[in-house]
Amino acid sequence: MNRPCAFTTALILAAGLARAQAAGALGGDVALGEHLSAECVTCHQLSGKAVGAIPPIVGWATDQFVAVMRSYRAKERDNPVMQTITGGLSDEDLAALAAFFGRLTPVAN
Amino acid sequence: MTMRMDRRAFVLGASASLGALALGAPAVLGQAKPRVVVVGGGAGGATAAKYIARDSQGAIEVTLVEPLRAYVTCFHSNLFLGGYRSLASITHGYDKLAAAHGVKLNHQMASAIDREKKQVVLADGNRLDYDRLILAPGIDLKYDSVPGWGQAHEQTMPHAWKPGAQTQLLADRLKAVPDGGVIVMIAPPNPYRCPPGPYERVSMMAHQLKSSGRGKAKIVVLDPKETFSKQGLFQEGWEKHYPGMVEWLDPKIHNGIKSVDPATNTVTTGFETYKNCALVNVIPAQTAGKIALDAGLANQSGFCPINPENMQSTMDAGIHVLGDASIAGDMPKSAFSANSQAKVAAMTVRGELTAARTFPARYTNTCWSLIETDDAVKVGGRYEPKDGKIAAAETFVSKTGESADLRKATQEENLGWYAGITSDIFG
Repeated sequence: MNRPCAFTTALILAAGLARAQAAGALGGDVALGEHLSAECVTCHQLSGKAVGAIPPIVGWATDQFVAVMRSYRAKERDNPVMQTITGGLSDEDLAALAAFFGRLTPVAN
Repeated sequence: MTMRMDRRAFVLGASASLGALALGAPAVLGQAKPRVVVVGGGAGGATAAKYIARDSQGAIEVTLVEPLRAYVTCFHSNLFLGGYRSLASITHGYDKLAAAHGVKLNHQMASAIDREKKQVVLADGNRLDYDRLILAPGIDLKYDSVPGWGQAHEQTMPHAWKPGAQTQLLADRLKAVPDGGVIVMIAPPNPYRCPPGPYERVSMMAHQLKSSGRGKAKIVVLDPKETFSKQGLFQEGWEKHYPGMVEWLDPKIHNGIKSVDPATNTVTTGFETYKNCALVNVIPAQTAGKIALDAGLANQSGFCPINPENMQSTMDAGIHVLGDASIAGDMPKSAFSANSQAKVAAMTVRGELTAARTFPARYTNTCWSLIETDDAVKVGGRYEPKDGKIAAAETFVSKTGESADLRKATQEENLGWYAGITSDIFG
């Protein structure tokens, strides 16, 4: 795993946390997203690797992530596992998840 | 794995800022380093150990006590029985928990819990101090629940309800069943580990028999329950794929299991005697792991009551009980459930010991079952604390008559899930 250097981390923390917690235009509370992501990674690989019929969900654009999850929540897309899980997620939750997963870079499949 | 941002930096940052702003210093921050001991390295315990160690970034000392160095998962062991998976592919080590996340491994049995001193007593007599204990011992079998059968007979009439040697034994015994032979499965009463498990096992046994030219063999299921998980789906599948091979009998039909005789492979019910069975698979009644019972953490049901908000034992605020050993309301006893519960407990413990940010508990479960090649079904749900228990908020189950394409896709999902959850637990 590549980790950012301490300086980068400090910058990210200083600049990023306020934004993340503000849940503003940047797309939501990353800490909330990380918490909620624990439900997703039971099936979806955090590395972004696709396995079997479980697709990668990291590195998506925020708009796309939120739109797809909303369509499951509205039961327009038809997987009952995803319908059930998104049924418990608010718009704020979806934005938080999009922010968390959107910041990760998938490995090459 | 490459990430643009260290995910743990957010946890740490959020913890620090919230702790400073609102929560103040928790009681244990004064001591050197808070200690968490996790007993049991299955889906619940290993997940909790990893999440606490990883997300606390070294701020909490986490020790996982598990006698096994290589853990065979119960989930997908039926697929091994059916010939769809190797035993190696469902066996996992703990190396990454130690190397990548800093979990201390202690490979011996935990023999007791000293709740007063907040210590776990190990098989070698040493003791481990804890500030919080995560107890995930899984189940123990009630060897006295089937008349005539006991621990001394588990080699002749295997249960294979704890993974490992018993899994291999049952597979070996299945291979030796002749065409025309009779297999009797004694199914367990509720509550038990993996509600659809016995019936997926029946399906995988039938698949092995049929695909190896033994289609005249028969599997009789003697069930103490009047109904079972995914019943309509399994029975539809048995009729479709294995006509005449599976006979499921509810207690009104068999009138109770009166006795078994391991010496002659005989099973006697209220109405019938099955003599010279080719294989008898006894899946007995179950309780929480003995260590939990001995520590006084179970109620009269034999399982451990918990606070649905955080998986904390209602008997001891310093102990969280996870997975099959717990009374998790509407959640079934499954690896998925244990993994989900572990994340709630891990978050709670980090919140208590390091003032990490916490969120309301949320739980999920899905159980996939394979009936025949490319024919899988699933049941699942989303759960939340409500009225003092973990209650189902929304559930789903596959439907009878689904298309072959959907059933095949469901099995592909099942395989992807296995890779996902084992990576989440052990990776």
